[in-house]
Amino acid sequence: MFSLLILRLWYLQIVKGDYFRNLSENNRIRSVYVQAPRGMIYDRWGETLVANRPAFNIELVTEDCPDEKRVIEKLEKLIGVTPGSINKNNPLSRKRKPFEPKLLIKDASRDTVAKVAVNKFHLPGISIEATPARDYVYKESASHLLGYIREITKDQLSGVKYKGYQQGEVVGQFGLESNLEDMLRGVRGLQRVEVNAMGTRISEFSFEEERMGNDVYLTIDAAVQAAAENGLAGLKGAAVALDPNSGEILALASLPAFDPNIFTGEISTDAWRELSAGRTSKLTNRVLQSAYPPGSVFKIITALAGLSEKVISQYETVYCPGYYSFAGRRYRCHKHVGHGWVDLRSAIVESCDTYFYSLATKLGIDTIHKYSTDFGLGMPTGLALGQESKGLIPSTEWKRQYFSKAEDKIWYPGETLSVVIGQGAIMTTPIQMARSLAALVNGGKLIRPQAVRKISGEDGHAIQEFIPEILSQSTLNANAVKIIRDALIGVVNDKKGTGGRAKLEKFPEILVAGKTGTAQVVSLDVTAKGDHLKDHAWFASYAPADKPELVVVVFVENGGHGGAAAAPIAKAIFEAYFESVKSHKVKLVPHNIEGSINRS
Amino acid sequence: MLIDRRIFNHFNYKLLLATLFICAAGLVVLYSAGFDPNSTSRNLGIFGYAPKSVPFTKQAMFMGVGLIFMLVGMVVNSQSLYRVAYPFYIACILMLIGVLLFGTVVNGSRRWFPIGDFRFQPSEIAKVAVILVMARYLSRTRLPLGGFTLKSIIIPTLLMLLPMSLIIRQPDLGTALSLGSAGFGMLFFVGIRPRTLVSLAILGAIAVVPVWNSLHDYQKRRVWTLIDPTSDPLGSGYHLNQSKIAVGSGAFAGKGYFQGTQAQLEFLPEHTTDFVFSVLAEEWGFLGSVIVLGLYFFFMVSLLSIISKSRDIFASFIVVGVSSLFFFHIIVNIGMVIGILPVVGITLPLFSYGGSSVLVSMFCIGIVLGISMRKYQFGRT
Repeated sequence: MFSLLILRLWYLQIVKGDYFRNLSENNRIRSVYVQAPRGMIYDRWGETLVANRPAFNIELVTEDCPDEKRVIEKLEKLIGVTPGSINKNNPLSRKRKPFEPKLLIKDASRDTVAKVAVNKFHLPGISIEATPARDYVYKESASHLLGYIREITKDQLSGVKYKGYQQGEVVGQFGLESNLEDMLRGVRGLQRVEVNAMGTRISEFSFEEERMGNDVYLTIDAAVQAAAENGLAGLKGAAVALDPNSGEILALASLPAFDPNIFTGEISTDAWRELSAGRTSKLTNRVLQSAYPPGSVFKIITALAGLSEKVISQYETVYCPGYYSFAGRRYRCHKHVGHGWVDLRSAIVESCDTYFYSLATKLGIDTIHKYSTDFGLGMPTGLALGQESKGLIPSTEWKRQYFSKAEDKIWYPGETLSVVIGQGAIMTTPIQMARSLAALVNGGKLIRPQAVRKISGEDGHAIQEFIPEILSQSTLNANAVKIIRDALIGVVNDKKGTGGRAKLEKFPEILVAGKTGTAQVVSLDVTAKGDHLKDHAWFASYAPADKPELVVVVFVENGGHGGAAAAPIAKAIFEAYFESVKSHKVKLVPHNIEGSINRS
Repeated sequence: MLIDRRIFNHFNYKLLLATLFICAAGLVVLYSAGFDPNSTSRNLGIFGYAPKSVPFTKQAMFMGVGLIFMLVGMVVNSQSLYRVAYPFYIACILMLIGVLLFGTVVNGSRRWFPIGDFRFQPSEIAKVAVILVMARYLSRTRLPLGGFTLKSIIIPTLLMLLPMSLIIRQPDLGTALSLGSAGFGMLFFVGIRPRTLVSLAILGAIAVVPVWNSLHDYQKRRVWTLIDPTSDPLGSGYHLNQSKIAVGSGAFAGKGYFQGTQAQLEFLPEHTTDFVFSVLAEEWGFLGSVIVLGLYFFFMVSLLSIISKSRDIFASFIVVGVSSLFFFHIIVNIGMVIGILPVVGITLPLFSYGGSSVLVSMFCIGIVLGISMRKYQFGRT
């Protein structure tokens, strides 16, 4: 028996000794993952919106460090941070594989890196590692669309969606960075680190090259986006510009915005709270995540419903004394002295409420609900960008389901009078309004708004191209559309029009059509005063009026009158668009609009 | 009179020497295997310093205590052992039942009773109990000439199977098998008729199916891994592969003390306990391994030489049981480490880190030393 053991030992150690010695050498070579740079994000003309830059992390390998505590104290003194602060951010207790570097300072400043590099010999075990970090070139611009990346959370790590990710990796957490994570992330590389028997590194050599993520080309036009953001600067609000035929979004602005670059380094709890506090925070995308009463912009839909249902005709007139009497109550027109005799056109151009009150009594809430739904109001638009608000289009059905008390379940005709002018329970998002206006001018097609045109791989070949998607199609009464579109031109171009400030100065030959909206903010406390009770300003528009290329919807929270607060911003957006088209000579031809009808 | 001059005349120094050499070699290897430069464990409070190799320090302490156990084993004469055999056996069975009900679970096995900072493993003591009770039974029973018949082997087999089955439930296949090895060694010493052997083999073959089915998945995998270790290199094949790499890479002269990358960089699992021989083979090479094997060989020869020189048949049986136990442990452990036997949790006596194992081993050696001392001593004292 003993000789058998010795025989076997002879075989393993003497005969195959070299072979096993080799295997044990291989064991000593350690693998280190190398983070791949994420794909670039460009605007529709190829202008860089999101790039990568090298970030320098200060790391420590315990095995190479004789006295960890002292070295860290030295480092803290050297770069001038409060003693103990480094370890506070990076608790030493976490379980670690041998030779796995420990991150001490994330995205260190140039100054810090220089100081550490110069004193490297006094800081054994400390190393400076370059990793790619995200660079959002225009800082706060389009931040809600682009989103941000951040270290993967514990919950995400344990979920199915992030299989194969490792602790410490960064992932898209918001916006397109999150939605297109699989496309943008790339493939991490593997670096092999050779260590000797005593555990010190001898050499490093790349083993598996990391592969950069795919590049994303947006439908956004950086110039149009900038115009929208400049217009909204200092305000709370949203602006969206899209091609009514293809659904391509040229600008998507929500203010206040945040700078996604701050997520690269350490982010303090205070900074995070400042960003995310409140129901509508800096992180809320006001274009699609919060819904507001649309105000008079909604009259476009009710007017179309009235004409299509033939309860009104083009030249029928209504007398506006400044109010409308209904069921023993006076419903006020915003123009207290009254508009006098108004027909449909002047009712839209001058935004006469009385005319629409009288229309309300003939239409009924459920007809309004039907037309709103045809135009995609009260439902998500399907833009692939995080959680979208549905908004709300009230109906008798909704009241029956939503309320519990019997008397609350009944729809009162008086409520229709509020809804018809975009007040009361009705809520829509700016992107819904933009899409509904697009449907008005594109022949009743409900398109899916899209922010991404193309995703391309390393050698530039397209991996995925986004074609326009028609989600549903409704048949519109062509005559009614013609009458309303004519009135919308009047809103901007007639003397008495409420949207005169949207008229283009740089391109006087191009007519803008649109509708203003001023939505009252209702408070139970009638005596309450303050900015948060100021009216919301809306302006929904398109241009050129005869052959629309761009729909622009501007919303200013507590901005006051739509014609005064929102229309000038829309004008700036249109001018930026037409200038961009002129300067690029070619108009970027939208993809084939025919697209398939997707009724899902 | 307990102390007799003849006792010293007949003291088996060879066995003691072999034991002490093995202990010393074991400590030397364990110091390196358990070395951790960053160790901050101050559990060993009586010394007030942080040892750099905690297993070494603890093992050295256990061996110190073990010497006392050895002395106790030497002093107890075989008459006393004979008397306590059955009560001790019953107590052990009760403890084994108790540990199944109330024991501490470590790594999925319910093997231990916690006693202060240490864990006490009743299955280790059960080895002694089985040896004693079978020695008593076999020495008192009139055995058929020509070896065991199927009928006469039933009772001693049951004496051995009862604790074995309790230990398998923990689950601890390794200890159960080592218990069986001691028992079978004693049965074979008496002799088993060829016919009986054939019947047993048939019974065994029939039993293989239910036994295989009752094995845990990890145990089945280990058997498969022996047949093809590359089939699952990161699963159960990992132990075996890393161990073979460690042993093989030691080559002729070894990598040098503390230079074993497999052990020091923790590729080798369990390198202070079941796989401590790999560390020896890696750091000291073929040379060191053969020297230690030689020590064990010398140790076994010394043990076996006592069998024929015992005072009575009961004592002989005890020595047979102890020898079988050690032989099984040495062969199976080293065989597993060098990849000719499946991976079962069997310790290398006096090499592997583990308190209970050290204490029981040294106690057993003590008993055998006592038997050899008293070989000419007759009558009751």
